[in-house]
Amino acid sequence: MVAELGDGWWAVASPLLDEVLELAEPERTRWLAALRERDPGTADLVESLLAEQRAIDAEGFLESRLPLLPAPQALEEPIAGQVVGAYTLVAPLGQGGMGVVWLASRNDGRFERHAAVKLLHAARVGRGAEERFKREGAVLARLTHPHIAGLVDAGVTAGGQPYLILEHVRGEPIDRFADASQLDLAARLALFLDVLAAVAHAHANLIVHRDIKPSNVLVREDGEVKLLDFGIAKLLDESSEGGAASHLTRDWGGAMTPAYAAPEQLVDQPVTTVTDVYALGVLLYVLLTGRHPIHEVAATPAEVLRAALEVEFPPPSAVVIAGGSDAATAVDAASRRGTTPSKLTRALRGDLDTIVAKALKKDPGERYGSVAAFADDLRHYLANEPITARADTFAYRAAKLVRRNPVAVALATLAVLTTLGGALGTAVQARRVRVQRDFALRQLWRAEAINDLDVFLLSDAAPSGKPFTVSELLADAERIAERQHGDDTVGHVELLLSIGDQYLTLDEDAKARRLLERAHASARAVHEPSTRARAACALAGALARAGEHDRAEALIAEGLAELPEEVTFVLDRVSCLRNASAVAEHRNAVQQAIERTQTAQRVLASAPLRSELVELRLYMDLAEHFRGAGRHREACVAFEQASRRLEALGRDETQTAGTLYNNWGMALFGLGHPLEAEPILRRAIELSSSDANEESVSPMLLLNYGWVLRDLARAHEGLRYAERAKAGARRAGDRVVIHQALIVKATSHNELNQPDQAEAALAELEPILAREVSENHPGHAAIRLERSYVAEARGNLEEARTQIDAALAMMDASVAAGGAGTEFIPTLLVRRADLAIERGRPGDAVADARRAVDAITAAIGPDGFSRGLGSAYLTLARALDAQGDRDAAHSAARVATTQLEKALGGDHPKTRAARKLLDRSA
Amino acid sequence: MLPSVASLVTAVESHEPRAVEALFAALYKDLRRVANRELGRLGQGATISPTTVLHEAYLDMAARDGVAFPDRPRFLRYASRVMRGLIIDHARSRHALKRGGGIEITALDNDLHGAEIDSREAERLAAIGVALDRLGESDPALAEVVDLKFFCGFSFVEIAEAQGIAERTVQRRWEKARLFLHHTLGAAALE
Repeated sequence: MVAELGDGWWAVASPLLDEVLELAEPERTRWLAALRERDPGTADLVESLLAEQRAIDAEGFLESRLPLLPAPQALEEPIAGQVVGAYTLVAPLGQGGMGVVWLASRNDGRFERHAAVKLLHAARVGRGAEERFKREGAVLARLTHPHIAGLVDAGVTAGGQPYLILEHVRGEPIDRFADASQLDLAARLALFLDVLAAVAHAHANLIVHRDIKPSNVLVREDGEVKLLDFGIAKLLDESSEGGAASHLTRDWGGAMTPAYAAPEQLVDQPVTTVTDVYALGVLLYVLLTGRHPIHEVAATPAEVLRAALEVEFPPPSAVVIAGGSDAATAVDAASRRGTTPSKLTRALRGDLDTIVAKALKKDPGERYGSVAAFADDLRHYLANEPITARADTFAYRAAKLVRRNPVAVALATLAVLTTLGGALGTAVQARRVRVQRDFALRQLWRAEAINDLDVFLLSDAAPSGKPFTVSELLADAERIAERQHGDDTVGHVELLLSIGDQYLTLDEDAKARRLLERAHASARAVHEPSTRARAACALAGALARAGEHDRAEALIAEGLAELPEEVTFVLDRVSCLRNASAVAEHRNAVQQAIERTQTAQRVLASAPLRSELVELRLYMDLAEHFRGAGRHREACVAFEQASRRLEALGRDETQTAGTLYNNWGMALFGLGHPLEAEPILRRAIELSSSDANEESVSPMLLLNYGWVLRDLARAHEGLRYAERAKAGARRAGDRVVIHQALIVKATSHNELNQPDQAEAALAELEPILAREVSENHPGHAAIRLERSYVAEARGNLEEARTQIDAALAMMDASVAAGGAGTEFIPTLLVRRADLAIERGRPGDAVADARRAVDAITAAIGPDGFSRGLGSAYLTLARALDAQGDRDAAHSAARVATTQLEKALGGDHPKTRAARKLLDRSA
Repeated sequence: MLPSVASLVTAVESHEPRAVEALFAALYKDLRRVANRELGRLGQGATISPTTVLHEAYLDMAARDGVAFPDRPRFLRYASRVMRGLIIDHARSRHALKRGGGIEITALDNDLHGAEIDSREAERLAAIGVALDRLGESDPALAEVVDLKFFCGFSFVEIAEAQGIAERTVQRRWEKARLFLHHTLGAAALE
């Protein structure tokens, strides 16, 4: 519709909108039709406004948060009197990993009601998750049952604080209540059946608790059971970014303890209603015996995790007497159940043992299929009827042991996770899906601990609401690591190793070294081979950077010697070999670095599982070593392998991918394949500029791209990138990039036939090079080369020739002295040949061009192709043509055309020139 | 001594001439002072929420003016309108800062892009402000909902509580106000 200039339309529309907006869709149509009969013009207006309203909803007009509003983490400490939703905070009730819990009151004038308000760590609820959080919260709020403490509301305050408002329950954890009340087995089972009824009700509504444990099952003074936090674990899990991350953080806060987690939760398998059956089984075990099944078989956090995944728990009847070393404890536990240890043992033996065992099966498919079935068996037991669960016979167990896959491998240790209270050491079965596999490996893989550390830092060490640097965060992490040092030395070492690694990536070598030295010293006190090995090897890596090669090598040998030759330690060995390879690289022993990485690849191949992630890292290492050794072709093969792994992983690894594509592109460029290098470098730029954390694309990358563009006859664009690279390098103080940017500028201007600008760039570069690099450095020859173009453009062919002769003399001297320049000489020869043709000396030109062709062919092999070889053949063809040798010119032009088409593309001016010569000489 | 905000509110409500300007000037000064204080407390680079500023300002004034101070709903009615102005001014000044601050005038896409967004955002906010003033003339209650929700970041529940009306009513007002603004801004774009 045509928009009116005044607001008269509003006076007409406003009261009508009040009417029509209250109507549902079909009624609106009738309403509009009626209006149209009376007043067609107004009906048109209202109809168009309703259409506009749908557009408003679709585009979310005014719904986005203003950019001036705070980031969600800029929260203040909650204070009494603060209003959250419809409630006012009264007093803090407690603090946990998820956040703080406050007692709150609702005062809406009619009656006063109390509630518990959980104020969650903002980092726990992902960006943009507010709407979803509220929506899911609303689903949970509909869950009502007398034994379930209801979720009243969930939301995010205007200030960005996510919150949950829950029914406030005053009570005691069920196990403490039962002990304090000295309930006998029958009373305990009756209470437990109430719990099962509540869980069954939630399951019927498709809500899984996921975090059942005594502190979430309270009994009020009047004896009524109330389950807390139903579905909240899931709410948080899906709100936060990345499920695995939330596992870690939850563990850290103790909200989900591995002690009650089902095996599938620990390996990130789908969680179902049967997951709750497992946790209920643990709870029943505790209620019946006063002992936790996992603590009967595991002491350290690592063992706890291993046990949860692999170890069969002893039956309840076996732990009443035998489980405790101390008879007084057994008597006390029994007396709290109104009986004696031996009577309790007899009562448990048989059906209760069998029922508990069925609930605690590792394989979800072998547990009770529903909470109702679990409850039925308990009722059968109480009524002295036969139960449905079958005890495992010896034959059954034996068969199962055989069936359990022969390649099940225990992969040892690692991770910040250990320190964060979780811990692991897990059996991974080969039949499991890739996601799960990679999850398990990720826990174990050293490099990945960094991700975990990030999560930990951002959620727990980050000062709230203040800008901070990574370095500050690490300092906080260090302090936390100190506090964490208790009896968990392994965890302490792991955290130190993680933080040390982080410092290394920040190039804070001194701090890294201090931490890694401490980790190494502390590791001597532990028996865990993988911890000892990795501490030694990580320190070796840091020492190599400082040039302490001998001690670094000794530590590598020490680390590798710690590791038994077992498949269990494959990943630790791979990790150590990566450090070993880095140590060799720092010693300039490139060949040894390559061999060590290749050894690591072979070791990894011997593992029963594949991990694209670890393969990716190794291929990247290998590619870098090859590239450093000037073996570009092998480097490109390795880069391609690495990029395949990256794609297979489907991970958003901006940093890694950016580095990979940049280095791959430069290896291709080094091979003389700018046409292939261009899209890969472009990808690198896209990746790093799309990352919100990157302030800008690395100047080095911009420059590399500019260089490639110039070679592809896109000098205008190349110039722009060189300018940007130079500006960025100035800010960063990166002198190398500044030098190279000036060269790219000069060569681009020459390409565009702008000798004055080219000379200006060279004049800027020359005094810097004179100051900073040696006399025979290729940089000086590069300046001469560009000066020869400047001279030619100004019509001074003699000067051009003098410059190029000087450049060649420098490079010959440099190569003769064992220095750099071999790769550069053919370019200079081709240039001199071109000038000779201009100067009417085709014989000289043919000689130089042939030298260049021979040198390049020797370097890249008979099957290779490159921009340089194509250019050399083009010059050779032109020289032969000028000599009048049509046949030889023709065959040289043919090679030139093929080479240049592949290296620079069919439309490149050089390719076109070669093709023209080919056609003419035919 | 300057007249208190409380007395200015009373003056506005008894339709004293120029009282509105005086009240808005006083509130603007107070809100900006509180905002600066909060920013100073949190340190460089921090942002603060308008709700926090309003809350703090309310507490400040209550302490200063004592029992005579107006109730929270009335305070919000005027303060949210002032907060809108404060936010629009802030957006403009931030844009000016990025454009003119010029130590590093670079070709970096990021910078240009950011400044451009800021410029467009400042313009958009200013246009919304003008349209809201027009809406406020005929339907002050609708304009107030936009000030509270969009500019100050209150939720429907909080607005309903503050104004003592049903949440449904707040939502309806919000829908209508959005329609008016969208239509008016669209028309302005066509002009």
